[in-house]
Amino acid sequence: MIAAGAVSAGPHIFWITSRAAGVAALVLSSLAVCAGLLIGARGGALKGFGGDTKALHESLSLATLVAIAVHGAALLGDHYMHPSVLDISVPFTGAYRPFWTGIGIVAGWGLAALGLSYYARRTVGQSRWRSLHRFTALFWALGVVHTLTAGTDATQPWFLLLIAIPTIPAAVLLLSKLTKTEDDRRPRQPPARTPEQAHPQQDRAPSHPAPARTASPSR
Amino acid sequence: MDEATRLEAKGLARAKIRARRRRVTTIRKRTVRGSIALFAAVWAIVFAQLVSGNDPALSSTPQRTARHSVAATEPKPAPEPEASEEDEPAFESEPEVVPEEEFAPEAEPVEEEFFEEEPEAAPEPEPEPVVTASS
Repeated sequence: MIAAGAVSAGPHIFWITSRAAGVAALVLSSLAVCAGLLIGARGGALKGFGGDTKALHESLSLATLVAIAVHGAALLGDHYMHPSVLDISVPFTGAYRPFWTGIGIVAGWGLAALGLSYYARRTVGQSRWRSLHRFTALFWALGVVHTLTAGTDATQPWFLLLIAIPTIPAAVLLLSKLTKTEDDRRPRQPPARTPEQAHPQQDRAPSHPAPARTASPSR
Repeated sequence: MDEATRLEAKGLARAKIRARRRRVTTIRKRTVRGSIALFAAVWAIVFAQLVSGNDPALSSTPQRTARHSVAATEPKPAPEPEASEEDEPAFESEPEVVPEEEFAPEAEPVEEEFFEEEPEAAPEPEPEPVVTASS
């Protein structure tokens, strides 16, 4: 049975490899997003890990990029679809579901550009790089959409379960961070407070104008 | 005393740096191993699906067409045997040729059209080959 199946699955090996790499890329990217969001919430959730979360985030991101590269490159060997290099690298030009596949290509390039920009953050500038790096979550969301709309296994229960395990926590963390940043901005804008509270704020305000998030959160 | 404490502090700092490097390398190794294991596990699942005939792309076409054939034959009981005889060889040949989902929905309306057209051509023996030839 297995030998017969291996023979019958022989022509589809590149296709299977691409599917597996796509699933792995989504799981790894979701875990990377989780780790990246937990770096910002370092004081709360991952106090014991410290700087290890950063290394975990970096290694997961690099593994994600490798999986994305395998996901696209394996399709080049598929004899049925037989896509060209342009089909897998230029968005919205392929023959197979061009819109949803194009979204995946955009997500892949975006994740690669924003992820690898970490190593060029000195030339880009730390503040610019941080502001740009926040868009990684957007490209991750596009990748999730691409998976659910263009994925072959999108209707399979094992696939949905495997994806839900890392994706749902990442989405919850992302939403919580977005709501927290809004809450953090609100008390900064209205400086009108009672004169009794104004004195301790005058000591803190000049020392840390930008990283005021660390002072306010859940501690 | 000051130099000794400085040396101790430097030694402690170096030890901390070494320990952190070790942790980082172990994290990287575990991430690489975990990624490879995840890829291999998913590859095995997809391969098992394909071998067992439960692949969503390869097996979705016959399942969907079978449902449509039953739904189409419920109001029209007459063309059931002809439809089932024509569909069965198509199920065996299509999964090997069409490995993608995109072409599955295209095959469904074609077979539904067959069910609708067949009763019109059924009373006369000559139009039947005309219909199959046009398909």
